[in-house]
Amino acid sequence: MIRLLAILFVVLLASDLAAQTQLRFVTWRSEAAAVWEQLIADFETSHPGVKVVREVGPHSSTEFHDLVTQKLRNRDTEMDVFFMDVIWPAEFAAAGWALPLDEYFPVQQQKVFLEAPIQANRYGGRIFGVPLFVDAGMFYFRKDLLAKYNLPPPRTWPGLVEQAKLILAQERDPYLTGYSAQFKQYEGLVCNMMEFVMSNGAALWDGQNLKGTLHLAKAKEAVRFVRDQIVGAISHRGVLAYQEPESLALFTQGKAIFHRNWPYAWEVANDPQRSKVAGKVGIVPLPAFPGHKSVATLGGWQLGISRFSRKPQLAWQFIEYMTSEAVQKRIALHTGRGPARSTLYRDPGVLKKHPHFQARYETFTLAAPRPPTPVYQPLSNIMQRYFSSAIAIPDSNIDQLAQLASRDMDRVLDLLRGRGRP
Amino acid sequence: MKASNEPTVGFLFPSIIFVVVFSLYPIFETFRLSFYRLILSLPWLGQKFVAWENYADLLTDPVALKSLTTSVAFVAVTTPVEVILGLAMALVLNESFRGRGWLRAIVLVPWAVPTVVSSQMWRFIFNDRYGLFNFLLFGDATERYWAPLAEPGLALMSIMVADIWKTSSFAALIILAGLQGIPRELYEAASIDGAGPWRKFRHITLPLLKPALLLALLFRTIDALKVFDLVFVMTQGGPADTTNVLQFYGYKKSFAEGMIGYGSTIAVAVFLVSMLLSIVYIRLLGTRLLGKEEGG
Repeated sequence: MIRLLAILFVVLLASDLAAQTQLRFVTWRSEAAAVWEQLIADFETSHPGVKVVREVGPHSSTEFHDLVTQKLRNRDTEMDVFFMDVIWPAEFAAAGWALPLDEYFPVQQQKVFLEAPIQANRYGGRIFGVPLFVDAGMFYFRKDLLAKYNLPPPRTWPGLVEQAKLILAQERDPYLTGYSAQFKQYEGLVCNMMEFVMSNGAALWDGQNLKGTLHLAKAKEAVRFVRDQIVGAISHRGVLAYQEPESLALFTQGKAIFHRNWPYAWEVANDPQRSKVAGKVGIVPLPAFPGHKSVATLGGWQLGISRFSRKPQLAWQFIEYMTSEAVQKRIALHTGRGPARSTLYRDPGVLKKHPHFQARYETFTLAAPRPPTPVYQPLSNIMQRYFSSAIAIPDSNIDQLAQLASRDMDRVLDLLRGRGRP
Repeated sequence: MKASNEPTVGFLFPSIIFVVVFSLYPIFETFRLSFYRLILSLPWLGQKFVAWENYADLLTDPVALKSLTTSVAFVAVTTPVEVILGLAMALVLNESFRGRGWLRAIVLVPWAVPTVVSSQMWRFIFNDRYGLFNFLLFGDATERYWAPLAEPGLALMSIMVADIWKTSSFAALIILAGLQGIPRELYEAASIDGAGPWRKFRHITLPLLKPALLLALLFRTIDALKVFDLVFVMTQGGPADTTNVLQFYGYKKSFAEGMIGYGSTIAVAVFLVSMLLSIVYIRLLGTRLLGKEEGG
């Protein structure tokens, strides 16, 4: 009898598996995991017989890139849908890894999404990904500390340094740091330094003439400012090893006055379960250098389909669902991530829960993308090396390092000459 | 000897296939690719034969040369320290005392833990705010806390510490095997001749342990030259590129930047350096290890 039952069980199990179509979704672990699980469960309910298998990769963009490109290079037919950082579509498109989505995602439909991330998903006149949520560098500050010393949130970088010095001198807390941000040698360093460089009227490189520009005076001035006025001055040198989680932990522990992070930090910093400064946090656009405009690095994640997927139709249904107005609204409401559809920034329900989204919309529409290029990774590695060397060594020779970085970037950009490719 | 030749080949066949498919072919392919320019994100450039251009680039690439120096420094510090610590551990573990079996097992734990896990652990230990390292050094004096992984002068040393912690026990294991091969009678005879512990160590243990020590050095040198996981988890090559070992640089080129040709050239360079070192060690070991001579 037991044997019979066992056989029956195995047969049932086997037939159940056979009836299911699996869709493999390569993602990273969200800080609001329950929301994602619910979204995927709902998709499975509305698509009987479909099972979405989530493969969870590393949270760091650099490491996640290595995982996904490894699969694409090996022409892995298992992977159907994957997350793409905003800097990858050009590379994935040029390499022939991401499926062009024009037939599924025509221009009229693209128009309901924010302009900047759509641009980041275009390459050679076609579209290769659908924006899922948008990120941009945000400036967080301790409302209570600033109020205590009767200070407005700083509008300029020198103003920030001045305020931090004042508060640090008065508070006499050796644990307190002025500015907590991401200065480790990795992709996040490029995002942070780009905000300093561009808010001083300089650029990372000249995409038109394919020339490095970090050796120009304005760019060097911004880098020198970070080295002399921030690292080891108002911030302890430990920030040189910080990625997002460490820098945010310092802020939520009440040990940082100012903090730069992506929008998700707002939820965490205001959650009394996870933060000691809940309710004492302010958010404004990042400071700029005097006479220049504030610049926020555009971040965010897209969904793409692997060119080697055997189920592109089903993969598209999944992407269409995840980026639909209803699901985008749920993501906005429950994770605090900035949705990619611009209409949601005027949605009364969303604005009621997140009044700061109104201000965020402006930041998102003005956010500066890292210029889309298939050689972004080599350029980024050169910049990471340069920025880290320039700011981590107190007496670094910035002139010489910048010259070398620009020369190396010239060599990489030279690869794009000819063929008339972007 | 001659008579058994034919079946020998038959028996060796499966392992030869294995070596050819999983060792020789990838090495050959890496060599071949190192003569091409192949960039995955720029497929229209094709796979162009460039002869020695990648090698010329490598020799003039300041980042690669600095990476090589970093790798060599890493090997030069970690390998001797690990072998000396391993020797000390092996000498203790070779004595008979209560609980020796337990201690032998415990000593191997750091080596048995996956490197990714222990690297992550060391990253926490070296954290500048809540790391155990600072707490042990400075206690409550938080204003004096260091950030070893953030200092260009200390990051490489921190990684060395993690590597020494992790692999000294591996050296101990090899050396312990060597110790157990030393005949007990030699020590008994020496005792009768009135030799003290130091003289026994100096004139019996050390000379007879030479092959095991060199073997431990050989394994550790090659492994240390290829260090990757510690760097990947703990620093990603920073700060200021001070922990960008050659193997990690090659990985970045091949896997992050998609520069397969140049990445292969770096891999070949690592291969050649470790082969060169292996040859030196095997020469030093003499023929004894290879079992051609029944000496001693």
